[in-house]
Amino acid sequence: MNKTFDRIATLTFLAIGVLFMIESLRISKSAYGSVVGPNVFPFLLGLILVLLSIKLLFETMRYPSIRGEKQRLQYKKFWIIFISAILYAILLEPIGYVITTFLFLIIGFQTMEKGSIRKSIIIAACFSLGVYGLYVKMLQGTLPSWPIWLR
Amino acid sequence: MTFLLDGFQTALQLHNLFFAFLGVLIGTAVGVLPGIGPMSGVALLIPVTASMTSGFEPAQAATSSIILLAGVYYGAMYGGSTTSILLNTPGESSSVVTALDGYQMAKQGRAGSALAIAAIGSFVAGIVSLIALVLLAEPLSNVALKFGPAEYFSLMLLGLAAVSGLAGNSMTKAWMMTVFGLLLSTIGLDSVSGVARFTYNISFLYGGLEFLTVAVGLFALGEVFKAILYNEQNNDGIAKIGRIIPSKEELKESAGPIARGSLLGFLVGILPGAGATLASFFSYMLEKKISKHPEKFGKGTIAGVAAPESANNAASGGAMIPLLTLGIPGSGTTAILMGALMMYNVQPGPLLFDEHPDVAWGLIASMFIGNVMLLILNMPLVKVFAKIIETPSKYLLPLIIAISIFGVYAVQVTTFDIFLLLGFGVLGYLLASHDFPLAPLVLGLVLGPMIENNMRRALTASNGDFFVFLEKPISLVLLIAAILWIVVPFVMKLKGKSVVVNEDM
Repeated sequence: MNKTFDRIATLTFLAIGVLFMIESLRISKSAYGSVVGPNVFPFLLGLILVLLSIKLLFETMRYPSIRGEKQRLQYKKFWIIFISAILYAILLEPIGYVITTFLFLIIGFQTMEKGSIRKSIIIAACFSLGVYGLYVKMLQGTLPSWPIWLR
Repeated sequence: MTFLLDGFQTALQLHNLFFAFLGVLIGTAVGVLPGIGPMSGVALLIPVTASMTSGFEPAQAATSSIILLAGVYYGAMYGGSTTSILLNTPGESSSVVTALDGYQMAKQGRAGSALAIAAIGSFVAGIVSLIALVLLAEPLSNVALKFGPAEYFSLMLLGLAAVSGLAGNSMTKAWMMTVFGLLLSTIGLDSVSGVARFTYNISFLYGGLEFLTVAVGLFALGEVFKAILYNEQNNDGIAKIGRIIPSKEELKESAGPIARGSLLGFLVGILPGAGATLASFFSYMLEKKISKHPEKFGKGTIAGVAAPESANNAASGGAMIPLLTLGIPGSGTTAILMGALMMYNVQPGPLLFDEHPDVAWGLIASMFIGNVMLLILNMPLVKVFAKIIETPSKYLLPLIIAISIFGVYAVQVTTFDIFLLLGFGVLGYLLASHDFPLAPLVLGLVLGPMIENNMRRALTASNGDFFVFLEKPISLVLLIAAILWIVVPFVMKLKGKSVVVNEDM
């Protein structure tokens, strides 16, 4: 168990609990069709979360911090993939599903392990075109199509 | 009985057969692939099935999708044994025990028999638990029909207590996750009064946080992010499978363990909170205890494979009972199945058998068929599935992200949900890797609206008197059971006994 993380998480949840409690006070108390208004349930839950957070905070004081052997985490890979996923989401509607998916997969494959560009391109193309073809053409689903300048 | 026959009629329709087949096939693959458990597998496939069934009538779409998703669920239980036996790396947590003896058998060149016995045991267990499901479904749902809002509220509290009490190492953390899930469920328009809560005029939030987005983010993306960060690689060689048909002697030796494992697994599965992992663990302990040669366990005895594999499959059948008859999911995976049903406006619970008999009985019948398919699929195709293990994660992981994003976008059609998905992915990784269990969070999110509505209905009937929950006898009993569920492990811990916990459901 990681003490630092537990503490930060606990304080975050404490804050979330307090936030929900304060905010639920602002919900109108009018209760159509119910004696108990829409504010009661979230308020109670917020309160319970606050109490539990305090309990966990005390628990984190007690147990010794166990330092496991630190494995070197692949932060760089993670961030590259995560940021490209965010870009994927931002660009999805402006430039369409096929192009963004294709690019995201290429970046993803190459980040995981460099090399064999050809195989990456083939798989990425098959997936993006395949999903688009199956979903939009066959199942009549909605996905952002090609950008205007390509149509 | 006529209902069951009708169910078979539904399940035997060509497209439903296809869905069941697809479900068990994908499920087996999910079970085989290390890193994707049944929970993330089912979550990942909800949007895919939703888009596949988009052309159907609502009720039909619900039946077909749930047939597929349930297939993934019990298919994964089958598939999990394959990697345990061949690689000594369990594909999911319920097969951890199988690895103890299974891998030893593989080392001795008896991998084929181990896999075959695992498949046969799973099949027998699946059928046993289904028969029990058929017998218990009607009476249980009749009892549940008499429940009023107060009883329901208490019953759901019991469900939450059970799952939170058994999940993870720290009960405080599990409860925090439950409450957090319940809190998240209050975001959006209040269904009783129509007042917007915690929406801050963000139009996407009025409908509430979409269950699908949260589940796929927490489970599927969370696991992918973890796999990327740790760069898990297995370079161990895969054991040769060899002869597949087990010898008569081995069959005889494993008949008892399979029967006991099935019954025990089923009983454990019904209990909310205790899932397939606990079931397989218990049955292994039981076999070791009653065996004449307990020293053989851990050195490759066939009973050590047969019992846990039967138990974990029976447990997944047993877990369907509280889900279908009471509307209370007992584990993370069944919570996701329940969320999927609710997406189709099908409310699991006692009314399910009255309102949507085709869905309920169609699902049960399809599980019979799916189990037969699994047996047929697994015996000859075990070697093919073993190949799936070799799928390089460099392709798999980015593809899972792409499938998640596609799935969420296809159902929600907003970029907002993709950001939410990525956010929950990171949250899922952070929480899970620090011992905050995710199953209670999802359970809270699914049960939240129902708990709140039943609480408010009960309180309205009693004019705001909170004692209504204690005055109704059934409700009182359920509440006491819920409290016991919390207190007993706590007392046992104080006494210094170690409590068996479900690491992952």
